[in-house]
Amino acid sequence: MTTITAGREPRAVEWHGVREALRSALWLAQRQVRNTLRVPAEFIPSMIFPLFFYFVQTGSLSKLAGAFGIENYKGFVLPVALLFAVSNEGAGQGMVQDIERGYFDKLMVTPASRLSLVLGAMGGNFARITFQGLVVTVLALLAGGGLVFKTGLLGVVPMVLMASLWGVAFAALGIGVALRTGSGQATQGAQFLAFPLMFLTTTFAPRFALGTGWLHTAVAYNPVTYILEAMRAFSWRGWEWWDIAKGLLAVAALATVTISFALSSLRRRTR
Amino acid sequence: MGAIEVDKLRKAFPNGVEAVADIDLNVEHGEIFGFLGPNGAGKSTTTRMLTTLLRPTSGGGRVGGFDILKQSAQVRRVIGVALQDAGLDYLATGRELLEVQGRLHGLSGRRVRERADAMLTLVGLKDAAGRRVGTYSGGMRRRLDLASALVHDPEILFLDEPTAGLDPASRQAIWDEVVHMNQKRGITVFLTTQYLEEADRLANRVAIIDRGRIVAEGSPEELKASIGADIVTVGVPEDQVAGAEKALATLDGLKEIQSDAKGLTLFVHDGSGAVARVIRLLDKAKINVGSITVSSPTLDEVFLRLTGSRLEGATEDVAS
Repeated sequence: MTTITAGREPRAVEWHGVREALRSALWLAQRQVRNTLRVPAEFIPSMIFPLFFYFVQTGSLSKLAGAFGIENYKGFVLPVALLFAVSNEGAGQGMVQDIERGYFDKLMVTPASRLSLVLGAMGGNFARITFQGLVVTVLALLAGGGLVFKTGLLGVVPMVLMASLWGVAFAALGIGVALRTGSGQATQGAQFLAFPLMFLTTTFAPRFALGTGWLHTAVAYNPVTYILEAMRAFSWRGWEWWDIAKGLLAVAALATVTISFALSSLRRRTR
Repeated sequence: MGAIEVDKLRKAFPNGVEAVADIDLNVEHGEIFGFLGPNGAGKSTTTRMLTTLLRPTSGGGRVGGFDILKQSAQVRRVIGVALQDAGLDYLATGRELLEVQGRLHGLSGRRVRERADAMLTLVGLKDAAGRRVGTYSGGMRRRLDLASALVHDPEILFLDEPTAGLDPASRQAIWDEVVHMNQKRGITVFLTTQYLEEADRLANRVAIIDRGRIVAEGSPEELKASIGADIVTVGVPEDQVAGAEKALATLDGLKEIQSDAKGLTLFVHDGSGAVARVIRLLDKAKINVGSITVSSPTLDEVFLRLTGSRLEGATEDVAS
């Protein structure tokens, strides 16, 4: 080893609460993106299933849907494929690895705020799922086959962002379970909650086709319904501002719950 | 005001285990403070509370003048921490890991690059800086962990078992660096260890913890002198230990006698002079003496005297 002698210098960057929390979150998100890119096998399969779903579903049911009065079925199904693309089971697994390897403790003893540790993990996840969502959407658009995207190219980015916001809000649940349990299996188990949420909604048929039974009630209380309808405003119905607003409110409500859960899980780690 | 002040610090876990029981400590600025104890004694729990990773059940403390409960963010700005298991990001390169750590400590871009370079040179990893951490050997990971604890130039450094599992050369290199950082840069070091030699060689002062309680505190020399006796270690067959203990109970100058399966440890005045008397007494009692050695007290004997048991495996590990 060589020895280095140098005087202690004051910090180059002063600490300013929220600004510093966001800056730390940005560095952590950047680190997560870098790690994701180094293991492509972790995110490429997450794009294959949604594309498979989109092409099989639209290939087999387009004509049938038309018979039930659903025109432009591809525009109706694309948001569902997109939700699958952004609701991957990887959320929280990176956190579990960091916990198992002791790296999370290393992050916890830096001055980075606890909030920035959660936001950093969410930010990295947001970048990853937005990329996945864009790839799925662009491939569906390139395949064409009768897909009419109602709001044109202008609506593509907001639709993908809406999906990513849902995905990252849901990812906070996985992050919370990872922080609470430190277990990869429990974290993966939490991700399965996405399935009932995504199937007890207007995944396969619009609300008017669901009748008035229990399914209709479940759909009305499921926040994913409003997110999906907001996404369909872009791809299927056109600029329906009230639908878009309800979708944003549903995402905000979900994110409030899941981020609170993640922060409470983080606090429990130090008890 | 000391660099680290601990006041009746206690940690009881929900399963009822009291890992740390109302301990008091005071570490002065610029000291290397050894926190010595066997596995499960409460060393790591204490370190985790002082580094704000764990909330005390009661009591408290100040690190760098900041309250560990009310000013935890400020505490984290003045400390560097290398925990028992080197906490590293295996997908990052050595340089990237140090840069992230420096950024989270608020260093600017130019400064973080300078510090990462300096630390990689310091721990001898400059040539491996561009390699992913996952490809590093155990010793390299330990050194990188130490570098990451130092990248932001902390005032107080917590080292939790920094040389556990290292080969003798890597261990010596870490020891040299700890002493260098302390002497040249004035960093206060809180060093937890179960290695007696490590505490003896590095620490200005030592606290010995056993089952969550501080059982002794002072400089290694003071602690050893507190025994006030030489150590005579007698190896006898396991089935003759009880007989040997009985035979030696009347030994002149005997202060205390401890036994285990391998034999006896006698605390006596004038150890050299006592050897002949020990052999005579054991011979008279028809005890087979396998070995007999005389030594000055070590911290292990201090621990043995205070707790009735040895720091198992510690000496062998350091010697290996």
